[in-house]
Amino acid sequence: MNELLLAVIFSPLVAGFLAWLFNVKGIREGIGVIGALIPLIGLIKLYPSLGQGVSYTITVGGFKLGFMMSHLNWIFSMIAAVVGVSAILGMVSTAKDGYEWLFALMSLTGALGIFTAQDLVVFFIFWEIMTFASFMMVLKFNRAASLKYFLLSIMGAYAMLVAIGLIYAKTGSFSFSDISAFFGKEAVSTMLGGTPAFSKLDVALIYLLFLLAFGVKAGMFPLHVWAPDAYSETDQSYTAIFSGVLSKAGVYGFILLYILMYGKLLIDLGQVRSAPAFGYVIAFLGGLTIIVGGILAALQEDIRRLFAYSSISQVGYILVGLGIGTSLGIEAAIYHAISHALFKGLFFLIVATLIYRTGKTEFKDFGGLAEKMPFTFTMAFIAILSLAGIPPLVGFASKWLIFEAVISQNLPILGGMVFFGSAIGFVYLIRFTYAVWFGQRPSDIEDTKDAPLPLAIGMAILGTLNVVFGVAPGIIAKELNAIFGRTVIGGNIWELELGFGRYNALLVTIWLVIGLLIAGILYFLGASTRKVPVTDTYQSGNPVTMDYNLTIRRNFFLPLKEAVAFWLRISFDKLYRDVWKSIEDFAETARNYIYNGNVQAYAWYLAIILLILAAMGV
Amino acid sequence: MISSYYFGAIALVLIGLYAVLVKKNLLKILIGLSIMETGVNLLLISIGYVSGRSAPILSEGIGPNQAVDPIPQALVLTAIVIGVATTAMALSVAIILYEKYGTLNIEEIRRLRG
Repeated sequence: MNELLLAVIFSPLVAGFLAWLFNVKGIREGIGVIGALIPLIGLIKLYPSLGQGVSYTITVGGFKLGFMMSHLNWIFSMIAAVVGVSAILGMVSTAKDGYEWLFALMSLTGALGIFTAQDLVVFFIFWEIMTFASFMMVLKFNRAASLKYFLLSIMGAYAMLVAIGLIYAKTGSFSFSDISAFFGKEAVSTMLGGTPAFSKLDVALIYLLFLLAFGVKAGMFPLHVWAPDAYSETDQSYTAIFSGVLSKAGVYGFILLYILMYGKLLIDLGQVRSAPAFGYVIAFLGGLTIIVGGILAALQEDIRRLFAYSSISQVGYILVGLGIGTSLGIEAAIYHAISHALFKGLFFLIVATLIYRTGKTEFKDFGGLAEKMPFTFTMAFIAILSLAGIPPLVGFASKWLIFEAVISQNLPILGGMVFFGSAIGFVYLIRFTYAVWFGQRPSDIEDTKDAPLPLAIGMAILGTLNVVFGVAPGIIAKELNAIFGRTVIGGNIWELELGFGRYNALLVTIWLVIGLLIAGILYFLGASTRKVPVTDTYQSGNPVTMDYNLTIRRNFFLPLKEAVAFWLRISFDKLYRDVWKSIEDFAETARNYIYNGNVQAYAWYLAIILLILAAMGV
Repeated sequence: MISSYYFGAIALVLIGLYAVLVKKNLLKILIGLSIMETGVNLLLISIGYVSGRSAPILSEGIGPNQAVDPIPQALVLTAIVIGVATTAMALSVAIILYEKYGTLNIEEIRRLRG
């Protein structure tokens, strides 16, 4: 059973190498899909034995690399496996060569390794595998975007490495359980007035370093600047993994922070209102992420960038839920991580389909595709409803839980941010709905076909899960309760019950279906409809011609843009660029000043250094 | 009390260093380098000196215990040869520089080179 864990983690990587070696169309797709399917099958097989604790240790050159699988690991690995399979199916249509297969599957292995790591070394190694693989994926499409991503990621990775070093120096162990036990003891001894091994400053430093490391990966404001570029400038099927799975690695990291040093952080850093201070920082930054990501998403003219910003915005919800730090908050956050992976993965596969079929990326080139691509439109409809949080879909259940978690802890500012985020979510989704699917169809995409089969299967997997988990939200709630070992979210399979609020998804679905039936009956019995061609619509008395471009497709939110123009000028992207530029300028000036080409100056440096060495008594 | 050998040798090095750092004429800098080299050689030799012993040539009546340290002498023999070689090369460079620029002032040469 335990060897199965190893197969789960490494089969994508092996498949990726094989697909890269046998770079023949047909063979590499088959190998890739099998490599992505093995983890999914393995994880389902592992599920019954989760209670006994599944673990596996490889010994490499004297180092022990430990993997384990508990309920929490299983849920996150499952996210990776499901979205992975769907995205890999999408890649059958969109990927062009073995290079893409290698690195897409490698990043899947990286994510699975992170989610099953038993100690900080394994965690870090797979973190880097994941970063490297996703960097290579972006590099193939856009050099500048990949370098920005890489630079921020590497900064985060170094921060994490320093933090791991600080922890190891005093605890003497990399294993999660040892560190967790050590910090637990620390917290108690601090409370009793003893002198702890980690001073307040140490703890704050470790926390900030981890915040930087995980914040970059999760796309937390103000470290989100890499995400819009990296998400949009790569194979769009792969972006489903990128946004759906890899951003969850940052979220998982924050959960890890809770597991490792919750008590210590709580005692040393204090509380803000009813939340722990360190969590409140995460939650507040998450709230800002929601707002900034949401507004910027509404202002995008490029379909890929809209969803990139939207993805950033949605991860903000997860951070808010995590930051509150109650068991309900954390469960809500993980719930939203699941639903985010499902609907965001679906969205990016839809974008992949649109780009694959039309070759266009800007809103102004789309329109009226609902007739031409009915299946993709259905999937887009599910994804839109799910992201916006319309009841019988999974997005509603998770957002509702986050709202309840925020409200129950009496955090008005965070509550305001979360509610605002939901409103802005509608704003950009309306844009996507109308500009792409409805309205006039430009003549050059007149003969667009529906999604190719593999992409359709990938979308169908995610779309079905969106609906199934939406109608039966209790399935996920049951798994989440298993993490804490008690009932945090009550109710049965159809209903979520928190004690101060309940949501019955089945009832909502039934009423919805009844409502739709009534509407359908009225429509077919009563309405006398006729199809209105575009040339039969009028604007100011003039017929609208085919080449007339509807306003919604271009600069639709121009008033909003003008309203927030002042804030748009404050760009962190620009700030980082300026800081980088001034560092470069400074280095250039210093170099010119020191290496001035004058031989006697170098002789002086030598003499001065000798003098200093003599003064130091070397 | 610092030995007068050491003092003299280090003083020679410092004089040479002064010439290298401050003088603008290339030939004077080369002279400075030569002086520095002499100073270093003297310093090396004086490190190996043991008061009251004779030259390290094993012959009648002089065993290993009666001779001064031979290693610095071997070292200095090498250093002298290297020093002469580098000086000769530097002088030939100086000749070429003079032919090309018509001056031996290093600041002038730098300016002319652009």
